[in-house]
Amino acid sequence: MIDPDLISVGITLKLATITTLVLFVLATPLTWWIARTTHISRYLLEPIVALPIVLPPTVLGFYLLLLFSPNNEFGQLWATIFGRPLAFSFEALVIGSVIYSLPFYVQPLQVAFENVRQELLDAAATLGAGPIDRFITIVCPLSRRGFIVAATLAFAHTVGEFGIVLMIGGNIPDETRVLSIALFDHVETLQYQRAHLLAAGLLTFSFITLFLVYFSNRTRQSPPFRRGIE
Amino acid sequence: MAISADIKLERLSGFSLDVSLTIPNNGITGLYGPSGSGKSTLLRLLAGLERGGPSDSVVIRSDEDTWQNESQFTPAEQRGVGFVFQRQQLFPHLDVQENLQFAIRRQHTQDSTDAGQVYEWLNIAPLLRKQVDQLSGGEAQRVAIARVLLNGARCILFDEPLGSIDRSARSKILPYLERLHRNLQIPMIYVSHSLDEITYLADTLYVLDAGRVTLNGSMLELSASLELNAAEGETASAVIACRVARHDQQYGLCELDFEGAPVFVNAQLYAPGEQVRVRIIARDVSIATTKPASTSILNIIEARIAAIELDTGPAALVRLERKGQCFLARITRKSLDTLNLVIGQTVFAQIKSIALLTDIIP
Repeated sequence: MIDPDLISVGITLKLATITTLVLFVLATPLTWWIARTTHISRYLLEPIVALPIVLPPTVLGFYLLLLFSPNNEFGQLWATIFGRPLAFSFEALVIGSVIYSLPFYVQPLQVAFENVRQELLDAAATLGAGPIDRFITIVCPLSRRGFIVAATLAFAHTVGEFGIVLMIGGNIPDETRVLSIALFDHVETLQYQRAHLLAAGLLTFSFITLFLVYFSNRTRQSPPFRRGIE
Repeated sequence: MAISADIKLERLSGFSLDVSLTIPNNGITGLYGPSGSGKSTLLRLLAGLERGGPSDSVVIRSDEDTWQNESQFTPAEQRGVGFVFQRQQLFPHLDVQENLQFAIRRQHTQDSTDAGQVYEWLNIAPLLRKQVDQLSGGEAQRVAIARVLLNGARCILFDEPLGSIDRSARSKILPYLERLHRNLQIPMIYVSHSLDEITYLADTLYVLDAGRVTLNGSMLELSASLELNAAEGETASAVIACRVARHDQQYGLCELDFEGAPVFVNAQLYAPGEQVRVRIIARDVSIATTKPASTSILNIIEARIAAIELDTGPAALVRLERKGQCFLARITRKSLDTLNLVIGQTVFAQIKSIALLTDIIP
């Protein structure tokens, strides 16, 4: 019998990985659009993307729960297509996490995209590179650090979420019981020893993640060593 | 590839562009004008990097197809137009060689220029292994130009390519551009606010001011035009084309042939038979009605007075013509009256100093 806490670790890592991949696929073009457009709708979209930073997760979780419920058309449609209800499922957690971690992915990447100079894109265009070619061969490599920071923050933030998971995922072992929920359970049942283990683990993980993010930012600001001796 | 453009465009800022121009299918067309005159906007429109607003009228045609009109727009990547920007256009995540390969992989035309030739013209070989941030401003521009040539561009647009390069490096890169000018059979448009660069390189000139073409024609003719020079005052000058006749080793001079008249300059750079451009500063030219018999001045050219422009001050600008080519003399109005100079009269221009354009451009 596997330790239930280990199962929670597995679910958490799976959730964070899938969430980060979904964000990579869906939020990358969105971020590019926000970073480059001069269209007025940008000023509406930017605060919407940033909302999860300021909203209590329970607010978001509450609305998502209503949306996912079989009484709602979207929930119904999902249940019809996939044969099982969306609420309190792992899929619901993924959707919730994608929305909740969206700003943590978009914002660092947006800064990186905005730092790609227009001249380079213009030069690439006149050299015969179309929009997708330019994005893949110029924008992505130049925004490499932005991608690393964005993916790291989105991953770490998903690992650490609690409120929204509780609202839309509930607490189903093997399905939706992620680390933060397991920790909460241990505290409620006064198993402080086990709670300590999970809490210290999350704390260490978060610190190391942030340390790496800040460390990679530091090397970006100071020029490579090579230039110092030229 | 010849290009014609008809552009009427207005910006919210009040800036407007109203030009109609034709770029001949080879040679360099210079686009000269002060900052904000619309040169760069015009160039970006030609390249397809900008398209104007919905109420603007932009019609651009190459001799093969229409690039832009009310109903269609060919994006920059499909026009085959090379663009050399003022600065920082090399991809910083690639080294010099990879930057060039980026262009080779996306060639616009199959019958592209021979790579070895391009490397030689622009002296690229020593730079190939370098990182982009190790290049000096002039080297970076040479690589940028090579990248455009290797890309097989059918037309090259230069947007102040020497604008951010220090003056000493500028004189080093101009001969490279002149070499391209002599060797390439494609049209080039060269935008600059430096009249020196333009007169050195261009065959055809468009002068732009506040979004309008104020002057247009052959560079050599316009260089001696009174309109272009009236405002220049002390620095008024004209450019003439000469052929290198021979080198005088004994005195270290180079003899040029200017429409049958010998002209001596202090230069050994060019081989006999080569065409060179020479700038004559108007204040270095004096006029005599009879051929001066004994004078220390070497260059005495027989010419006809084509036009006279009086200055508001004590000076007058006289345009002198010799077999179709013109230069200027800046003399006092008092001399003009004393000598009784009139249009059509044949006179002798004494030129104190002449320099090849390569030597003048700082």
